[in-house]
Amino acid sequence: MRTLRAWLLSLAAVAGFVLLSAPPAQAFPAFARRTGLRCTACHELWPVFDDTGRAFRDNGYQMRLGKDNPTENPFSYWPVAIRITPNYEYDTVNNQETDQGKKTFKNGGIADGAMDLLIGGNLNNNVSYLVVPTGYASDGVVNLESFWVYFTRVIKNSDWFNIRIGKHEVDLPVSAHRSISLINPYLIYGYHPMADNDAAGAFALDENQRGIEFMGHDRGSLTRYSVSIFNANDSPGSRGAWDSRGYYAHFQKYWQLDSYSVSEVEVGGFLSSAEYPTSFYTADGEPIDGTGTNLKSSERWGLETSATFGPKWTPFHVWAVWAQGKDDKALYGEDARDGKWNGGFLQLLWVPPTDGLHWGFFGRYDYIRNSQQPLAGTPKSLNDQDQWTIGMKHTFAFFNRDEYALHVEYSTNKMKGMAFDGSDLTVSSTFIGIDFAF
Amino acid sequence: MKRTRIVTTILAIAVLAATSSALQAENAGDPAHGKLVYERYCLSCHGELGNGQGEFAQWISPKPRDYRQGTFKWRSTPSGSLPTVADLEKTIRDGVYGTYMPTWYTIGHRARLDVIAYIQTFSDRWKEEKPDPPIQIPPEPANDQASIDKGQKLFVALKCAQCHGDSAQGDGPSSHELKDDWGHPIEPADLTKGHFKCGDTPTDVYRVFMTGLNGTPMPSFASQISPSDAWDLAHYIWSLGPGRVNHPQPPNIAAK
Repeated sequence: MRTLRAWLLSLAAVAGFVLLSAPPAQAFPAFARRTGLRCTACHELWPVFDDTGRAFRDNGYQMRLGKDNPTENPFSYWPVAIRITPNYEYDTVNNQETDQGKKTFKNGGIADGAMDLLIGGNLNNNVSYLVVPTGYASDGVVNLESFWVYFTRVIKNSDWFNIRIGKHEVDLPVSAHRSISLINPYLIYGYHPMADNDAAGAFALDENQRGIEFMGHDRGSLTRYSVSIFNANDSPGSRGAWDSRGYYAHFQKYWQLDSYSVSEVEVGGFLSSAEYPTSFYTADGEPIDGTGTNLKSSERWGLETSATFGPKWTPFHVWAVWAQGKDDKALYGEDARDGKWNGGFLQLLWVPPTDGLHWGFFGRYDYIRNSQQPLAGTPKSLNDQDQWTIGMKHTFAFFNRDEYALHVEYSTNKMKGMAFDGSDLTVSSTFIGIDFAF
Repeated sequence: MKRTRIVTTILAIAVLAATSSALQAENAGDPAHGKLVYERYCLSCHGELGNGQGEFAQWISPKPRDYRQGTFKWRSTPSGSLPTVADLEKTIRDGVYGTYMPTWYTIGHRARLDVIAYIQTFSDRWKEEKPDPPIQIPPEPANDQASIDKGQKLFVALKCAQCHGDSAQGDGPSSHELKDDWGHPIEPADLTKGHFKCGDTPTDVYRVFMTGLNGTPMPSFASQISPSDAWDLAHYIWSLGPGRVNHPQPPNIAAK
């Protein structure tokens, strides 16, 4: 039984890594067409925002210079963009059980492509929207990743009072949807200790949430806050007036130092709680969605800092994010304990001052350390993870109409004790693709 | 002990960085850095050669600034003069309302100084001339109905309506014939929108009367009207914006 469970967990981990490790990423050439600016104006290295891009987004896709109302846009402007990355991917996973003994699986090929259809713009002054159907791979599945409307300057024409309504990405320390990595998720956003119960592994900060976000910022978005109230993702619901409540709060403060050595420093923090039902009415023994009660929470909190070394226009940007997580024991079933862990990541991004900003290099180290396993008898370090990512991007051409780049990336993730026989499981991927948006 | 050393080292680096920052911020911009700033933020409109012919220029009006002549509209200096660095930084920091020139507030003071230094390399004027001192702007008198009424009479007397129109909406009889120094058609400002390219305060409007807009048909009135008259005219123009206090009717509408 122990062997079967470990094997299933191993399989799930690999499947999860391969299937879910490419969060849809956003870069929006429609805005470049509307504003006349190249991607470099808003992205350090697309799709990672620079200060201008962050402020543009916080301002509701507005420049605030009399050209934001749809009637002021060029007649030919159409608020739609597409991003897709045809790529070759080579994956290996070790310590796999076969009738011929323990083997390493290797496979590669042109990956099945998924496409982001990005539809966004302004409905009026201070009213913006985003709709993102994503998927369109050979399985035919299309997921509405985002749909929201955003009202800015709601009270007294102040940037401190803005409201977003709909399915949105909560304001993470580093956006999962604008990740420079195309194959690796940030581990802390979706991690849960191992369990047999699906409810214990549901909440993910990098899943877009359906709810309301209140956010505010100063001029330039150098001081900013965000509070989201939402229905927790993938919850089967409850009988409460407000199903499966979730809360998220985030604060960031940036200091522009006007120096070539350290041009910007940032600190921030976040906390979150999402509740999932643990008791249900049943039909034929199966829980009936929407009848859950006894809500229990998954909680996350963390701190962040980042610094940009060198000028911001050729940044060497370093982020460090640390987080702790706790899942209520009731989410894991009877006789379980709270699941507790901590983790974080260190991310680097460098745009060298050569060749017209066409080159970019990046790397990241993610880790997870379990501090209390929910299931008795489970080794404390089970599924501790160390994930390394390194990559480069060479943008062939910048225009205010499109952008296309060579994206090369390698990553490896070592998960402790996760192979079928209790040994470590290592999943590695090599990615070579042409990333383009238009 | 080791941790103390690490913390001390980090603090020392931070202090050095802050000191370095303060010292550098007082210096002039660095054109070598400015070139990279320009490539990141400015190239698509102003072009690689600074000639205002970037890839987006063909689609927009007014056209992006051609830097090669050293001619700039928004200045605190007298007509014909180069602008000061502070003038250029104001335009870059705040953008130009009603155009595709965005606000670059977020890139910071250092980047703006650097890109100004690079922009200055496109024209030899910056090597051969210095900007004249900014014009003196006397204290603003009361922005009251009497001043606005005087300003309205000046608007007629100075024939502002020839370009800006009787209704001050930028639709005067000459409005379709105007061209800038580069031969591009140029539209007179609609003065009733409440926003001006030069800035939204009466002081900003006053400055435009007295400096003119180099490279455009908008002249300087510094030799034609007194500072007092210029303030009256500024108050009248400012008052045309929607929702402004003492908002009067433009001349032709008032006549009806």
